[in-house]
Amino acid sequence: MDFLGEGVRRALALLFSGDAEVYGVAFLTLRVACIATAVACALGLPLGYALAARPFWGRRATLTVVNTAIAIPTVVVGLVLYGLLSRRGPLGDLGWLYTWRAIVVGDVLLALPLAAALAAAAVQGVDPRIRRTAETLGAGSWRTAWMVAREARFALAAVVTAAFGQVVAEVGAAMMVGGNIRGQTRTLTTAVALSTAQGDFGLALALGIILITLALVVNVALQVLQGRGSG
Amino acid sequence: MLELNAVRHRYGARSVVDVERFTVPRGGLVAIVGANGSGKSTLLRLLALLERPTEGRVLLDEQSVWDAGGRAAVVAARRRVTLVEQRPVLFRGTVLDNLAFGLRSRGVGTDAARRAARDMAARLDLGPLLGRPRAELSDGEIQRVAVGRALALRPDALLLDEPVSSADGAAARTLYGVLEAERQERGLAVCLASHQLEDAYRWADDIRALADGRLSPVTPENLFRVDLPGGGDHTKHVRVGPIEIAVLTEKGGPAILAVPPSDIFVSREPMASSARNVFAGSVIRLAHQRGGAVRVTADVGIELVALITEEATRDLALVPGCAVVFSFKASAVRVF
Repeated sequence: MDFLGEGVRRALALLFSGDAEVYGVAFLTLRVACIATAVACALGLPLGYALAARPFWGRRATLTVVNTAIAIPTVVVGLVLYGLLSRRGPLGDLGWLYTWRAIVVGDVLLALPLAAALAAAAVQGVDPRIRRTAETLGAGSWRTAWMVAREARFALAAVVTAAFGQVVAEVGAAMMVGGNIRGQTRTLTTAVALSTAQGDFGLALALGIILITLALVVNVALQVLQGRGSG
Repeated sequence: MLELNAVRHRYGARSVVDVERFTVPRGGLVAIVGANGSGKSTLLRLLALLERPTEGRVLLDEQSVWDAGGRAAVVAARRRVTLVEQRPVLFRGTVLDNLAFGLRSRGVGTDAARRAARDMAARLDLGPLLGRPRAELSDGEIQRVAVGRALALRPDALLLDEPVSSADGAAARTLYGVLEAERQERGLAVCLASHQLEDAYRWADDIRALADGRLSPVTPENLFRVDLPGGGDHTKHVRVGPIEIAVLTEKGGPAILAVPPSDIFVSREPMASSARNVFAGSVIRLAHQRGGAVRVTADVGIELVALITEEATRDLALVPGCAVVFSFKASAVRVF
């Protein structure tokens, strides 16, 4: 019990003292997660719409690939990305290995299939008369997609939340392609893993609390947005 | 103006529309009548270019739309033909936003689109609803807004699927009045699907019956789906409900029987005649239509409609509930 109690006390002290390392890790994590979520959703939402809106040749195969990609372990994504970004890899010249950019790429690869699959399900849930009505009133493809997206806004907001959740909680790929370098590529999850391994339970707990708070804030923000958008 | 030519449409293996030729002329009002599931809504979606027919062509001003030039040609053609579905949906926003939607989609500025939307709202008595969101509208109001939203675009052809199914009498008269004015003023072509024959006879120039996705060669009443016995004598007796109808045909298997109302003799007593089909029953209702004709609906075991003159109605002293005899020849029964 002393061990746990001491851990909690140290965690609270770190949080309330504004510890530079703890908050540095948190801000990096937030930055990486926001960029990765934005990119994954920018690509995944249109892909999901395309998969759901109308049949096309290869749709079933694409859906299978997307759904399978959701289940790929994060360390496998990290491994493949490591191979691509390492000095001898085809993308080695970019010099991105062990940078926050590599973590963003890994997170995008993990969140993209999730965003696409959930967006496809969200669009499929929209009354098909919405699309037909927009089309018969002369709306082009983009405006029709916009009208469908407006109807699916709650489900699509949930897609963004899920993608953010996936990205912010990811540890395997971030560890492998980021390298967990202090002050540069150390994210909340990799820092928690390292601190725990080093026996600094208080620091791990402080980072864990920030992680949970981040997820909570994003969820609450989206719920507020949904509330404003209803009606 | 708008035409289906040799159109066959299937969902999987199931044939839903099989039409050799169906035309909606400029300034005309064509009504499609038929039971639920007869293919009316699918036919309208084909005309509205929302579905591409499995076979055949959809012509707009004699140009085949789907073969004309890719998606851009279809989108351009859709801007001339607008469909209002049976249970229309409104988009998020107010009634005014909905009425202006189509014009905004065409690049019309917000102010101009809203002006046009308000004009249309005034014509359809929608003025008091303009600021309301869709959640605060009744089914009938949604239907009127959907028709207004389509008409605000001033399409060349308007397709309406059961446009007054949720409307009261006054709203229906207002709607048909506006349609009539648009037809007269600018040659709007209208095609509406309805199961309300009285409306169709009152407002339409041409009435086409649809059964199992096929157009009937005769008027829409007295259509029966049957299974004809094959081979043998050409005069076949087919059971339709509790009665048996004599038919002169070489066909066998599933078919639609049509008894043209104008081929039915109406009398108060059975007559000695060559008619093979003689059924006694009672009058259900009398409907007066344009040109001095009366449609007599009688229950003779099944519901049959006969077309007679007003003079004959008076001579026979027909009133709802009175006894009546319907007679028609086996050769009068059409099979398709």
